[in-house]
Amino acid sequence: MLLHLGYNLLQAAVVIGFAPLIEGILARLKEIVQSKRGPSIFQPYRDLGKLLRKDEIVSRQSSWIFRAAPYVAFTTPVFVTLLIPVLTRYPLFFAFMGDMLGAGFVLALGGFFVSLAAVDTGNPYGPMGASRTRMVGFLTEPVFLIVFMTISLVAGSTIPYIVQDEWVRSPAAFFAPWHVLLVIAFFLLILAEDGRLPVDSATGHFELAMIEKSKSLEYSGRGAALMKWAGAMKLFVLMVVFLNVLVTPWGLAGPTDTSLAGVLLAVPLVLLKMLAFVLVLVVIESSLAKLRLFRISEFTGAAFVIAVVAMISRLFAA
Amino acid sequence: MHALSTSSLLSIEALAGGVFLLTALGTVAARQLLTCFNLFVLQSFLLSASAALLGLALSSPHLLAVAAITLATKTVLIPWLLRKTVHGEVYRIREIDQVLNIPTSLLLALGLVGLAYFSVDFFGGVAVPAYSLVNLPIGVAVLLLGAFTLTVRREAVAQLLALLVAENGVFFAGITIVPNLPAIAELAAAVDIPVYTLVVGLLTRRIYSEMGTTMVGRLTALREE
Amino acid sequence: MLLAAILLVPVCTSLLVLAAPARRWSAEITILAMAVVLALALFAVQATLARGSLSAASGWLACDGLGALILGLVAFVAFTAAIYSRGYLHRRHPPQHRIEAAGSYYPLFNIFVASMLAVPLMANVALLWVALELTTLFSAFLVGFENTPEALEAAWKYAILTTLGAIIALLGVLILYWGTRVLGQEAFTWNELIAEAPAMPPSLVWPAFLLILIGFGTKVGLVPMHTWLPDAHSQAPSPICALLSGVETSTALYVILRLYSVLSRLPGSEAGPWFVVFGVLSVGVATILMVQVRDYKRMFAFSTVEHMGIILLAVGIGGADARFAAAYQITAHALAKSFCFFAAGLLVLALGEQRIASIQGLTRRAPVAALPFVAGALAITGMPPSAVFVSELLILKAGLARGQYLVVGFLALFIVLGFAAIMRHATRMTFGAGSGSRWTAGAPRTCLAALAITAVPLVIFGISMPPELAGLLRLAGAAMGR
Repeated sequence: MLLHLGYNLLQAAVVIGFAPLIEGILARLKEIVQSKRGPSIFQPYRDLGKLLRKDEIVSRQSSWIFRAAPYVAFTTPVFVTLLIPVLTRYPLFFAFMGDMLGAGFVLALGGFFVSLAAVDTGNPYGPMGASRTRMVGFLTEPVFLIVFMTISLVAGSTIPYIVQDEWVRSPAAFFAPWHVLLVIAFFLLILAEDGRLPVDSATGHFELAMIEKSKSLEYSGRGAALMKWAGAMKLFVLMVVFLNVLVTPWGLAGPTDTSLAGVLLAVPLVLLKMLAFVLVLVVIESSLAKLRLFRISEFTGAAFVIAVVAMISRLFAA
Repeated sequence: MHALSTSSLLSIEALAGGVFLLTALGTVAARQLLTCFNLFVLQSFLLSASAALLGLALSSPHLLAVAAITLATKTVLIPWLLRKTVHGEVYRIREIDQVLNIPTSLLLALGLVGLAYFSVDFFGGVAVPAYSLVNLPIGVAVLLLGAFTLTVRREAVAQLLALLVAENGVFFAGITIVPNLPAIAELAAAVDIPVYTLVVGLLTRRIYSEMGTTMVGRLTALREE
Repeated sequence: MLLAAILLVPVCTSLLVLAAPARRWSAEITILAMAVVLALALFAVQATLARGSLSAASGWLACDGLGALILGLVAFVAFTAAIYSRGYLHRRHPPQHRIEAAGSYYPLFNIFVASMLAVPLMANVALLWVALELTTLFSAFLVGFENTPEALEAAWKYAILTTLGAIIALLGVLILYWGTRVLGQEAFTWNELIAEAPAMPPSLVWPAFLLILIGFGTKVGLVPMHTWLPDAHSQAPSPICALLSGVETSTALYVILRLYSVLSRLPGSEAGPWFVVFGVLSVGVATILMVQVRDYKRMFAFSTVEHMGIILLAVGIGGADARFAAAYQITAHALAKSFCFFAAGLLVLALGEQRIASIQGLTRRAPVAALPFVAGALAITGMPPSAVFVSELLILKAGLARGQYLVVGFLALFIVLGFAAIMRHATRMTFGAGSGSRWTAGAPRTCLAALAITAVPLVIFGISMPPELAGLLRLAGAAMGR
C-alpha cells in the first residue's frame, strides 16, 4: 500500500521532472530539421529557472483568479498522473479514483482557469485566445467522448489501467481495425488539444493568430514559469495516455515484479517511446501549415468521423 | 520460417483493414488532388499487403498471386499511366471542386460506413470466418465511399480515383470470400483495370485539350430541360 | 472451334486495320469481316438449334438458346453498321481527314464488336463480367468520336457511370461465387450455377442478385440508373448508336436475364416482382421523357430505355409465353432500333442538326432521309408490319393470360403514350412548310443498303414467323427460366 503510494509520487515526480526535457528535445529536433543548430535540449529548464528568479508583476485590475490560475494549471496534470499508468502496468494507489473521462475533466479544470485568467486582465489578446480555445474545445470534446465510449466497449471499462491490460493481453484486440482508427482519432485530438500544428502554431509570435499562447501573455516571473511548465506537463500527460494506454502498452514495470528497480527501469523505456512520438510530431510540425481558423472544424470533424467509424466497426463486429 | 502464426497474420491483416478504411475516408476529405492520388496508391498497397497476409495465413497461392498482381498494376502501373496521360497541371489543383462541402460529405460518409456494417447482416445465414467479418464490411464501406466521392467531386481525375477506390473496396471484400477465383479471371481483371485507367486517362486528356478544363462536373450541355 | 473463330475474326481484323497499309481499305475489310462473323454466327445459331447448346475451348466458351439469340443479333447489327459506317464516315469527314478518321474508327469498331460477341459466349461468370466491362472500354472512344464538347461529356458520363455499375456488379458476382464455394464447388459457369441454385444459401444469392441488377442495370439503362444513356446514345456517330442502342444494352440485359433463371430455381423466392417494378418504372419514365425531348437521336435513346423496360417486365410477368415474347422483343428491338438510328444518321448527314425544333418540312428538303425516318418511327412504336408490333402484342397477351391486368394496363398506356410522343415529333419534323435548302448530295449508297438489309427481317418477322426463329426464341425463352 505504502509502496504503491510511493510509486504514485515517483510517477508525479517523473512527469514534473521530465516534461520540460521533452519540450526541449522537440524544440531542438525541429530546429535540426530546419537545418539550424537550435538551443540545448535543457534550455526549458534554464528558462524556468530564470523565470522563477524574476519578479512577478500583476495587473491591479485583475482578480484572484489571475493569481490562482498558474497554480491550478500546474497541479491539474500532476493529479492526472495519479490516475494513469506512467511507469507501472499494475494499478497504483489512486488508480480507481477516476477513469479517463475523470482525467479529462481534471485537465479541463486547468484549461478553464487559464481561460478565465486570460479574460481577467483586460489584455485584448487574452479573451481572443480563450474564446478560440473554447471553440476548439467544443469541437474536440464530443470526439473525446466517442473515443472513450469505444474504448469502454472494447475493454469493458475506461479505467486506464484496465484498458491498457486489455490491449496487452489480446493481440487480436490490439490489431483490430477499430484500434488503429481510435489511435489516429486520439492522435488528432492531441494535436488539437495541445495547440499543435495544423491547429495552432506553438512557436508563432504573431498575437492575432495565436490560440493557446495568447492566454499567458500577461504572466511574468513565477506565474509565467508555472504556466510554461504546466503546458509542458499537459503534453507529457496526453502523450503518456496515448502511448502507454493506446499505442504501445509495453515496456512498463510488469504486474509480477513490483520492485523499485523495475519501476526505475521503466523510466528510460517510457522516455524512449516519447522520443519516437516526438519524432512523429516534428515531422508533422515541419511539413504542415497552420489551418485557417474556420477549417479547424474540418480537422476535428475528421477526428470525429474516424472515432465514430471506430465505434461502428466495434459495435457491429459481434 | 513459421515464426508467425496464422492468428497473428490474420491480426495484422485486420490492422491493414483499419488503415484501408481510413484511406478511403481520406479520399472523401482530401482537398488536394495529389493527396487523393497518394492515398489511392497507399490504399492499393494495403490491399496488396492484405491479400499477401491472407494468402500466407490460409496458404493460398491464389491470394499471393492477387497480391503480386495488385502490387504491380495498382501501385506501379496505374499511377504511372495516370501521370503519363493526364496533364501535369491537373495534379497541382489545390482545392478540388465539390458539390458538397467537406464536413457535410464526411458526415454522409459516416452514414455510409454504418450502412455497410449494417448490410453485412444480410449474410447472416452463412457461416462466415472471422477474417471475412473484418474484410467484408470494410470492403463494402469503401465501395460505398468511392461511389459517393465519385458523385460529389466535379474534377475528372478525382472522379476516376474515386472509381478506382470503389474497385479496391470490392477486391478487399472479394479476397476473403472468394480466395480461389480462377487464375484466368484474376488476370483478366488485372488487365482490365489498367486498360480502363488508360482509356479514361486519355479521355480526360482529350477533354482538357478540347475545353481547357477537367471540371467534368461543370459540363451540363446534355440534360433534360 | 466455331465459337472461338467468331471471336478471333473481329480481333484479328481490328489488328489488321490498325496496320498502316490496310488503312485505306479498312471500311471494306471491316464489312468483309463482319459478313464472315455473321455467317459464322448463323452457323452457330443453326448448330445450337440442332443440339440445344454448344461448348468449346474445354468449356470456357458456351452457347445456348439465349446466347445464340444475342450472338446472332450482335453479328447482324454489326454487319449492317459496318456497311453503314463506310458511307457515313466518308460523308462526315473532309477528304484530308478521311484516312485518319478511319484509322482510329475501324480498329475500335472491330474490337468493340468482338467484346460484345464475347458476352453471350463466356461460360464463366467472372469472365463474362470482364467481357461486359470491355464493351464499355472499347466503345468509350467511339462515343466521344466526334470530339465535340457534347460528345466528350457523353463519353465521360458513359465511361464513368457504367463502370461504377460494373464495379457494383462485380461485388455481386463475387458473392455469387461465394455461394458456390459454400457448396464446395470450384468451377463457376452458368450451367453449374443453375444446377446448384436450389442448394445455395438464399442469403447470398439475393444480395448478389440485387447488386448485379443495379450494377448491370446501369449499363442496360434502367431507370433510375439511365441518366448517361440518352447522352451517350445521342452523341455517338449514328452507326455506333445503332450498336449501342440495338444490341449493347441487350448484352448487359442478357446477364440479368441469366440471373433470373438462377433465381427462379431458388426455392420459395420470386424475382418477378423486382423485374416488373424496374420494368414499369423504366417504361413510364422513359415515355414521359420522350414527350419533352428536343433532340431526335435522344428521342430514340429514350425509346431504348422504354424497350429495355418492356423486356424486363415481360420476363417478370413469368410463364413460357411471356419469356418467348421477351425473346421476340429483344430481336424486334435490335432490328427496329438499329433501323431508327440508321435513319437518324441520314438526317444528321442531310442537315447537320439534331434539334427537333429547328427541323421542318423534311419531305421537301430531304425526301430520301424523310422516308426511312418516318418508317423507323412507325416501326419502333409498334405499327404493323413491324416485328415490334407482334412482340408487344404477345407480351400484352401473355400478361393477360397470367392475370396481370394492372401491369398490362400500365404497359398498354405507356406504349400508346410513347407512340403519340414519337409520332408528334416525327410529323412536326417531316411535314409542313420547310425552310432551308434542299439536300442535294443525296444519301450514300451504303447507308441505304444498310437500311434495306435491316428492313427485310424487320418486316418478315412482323408478317410471319419462320420456324427457325420460332425454335430459337423458344430455346431462348427456356434458357431464361428453367
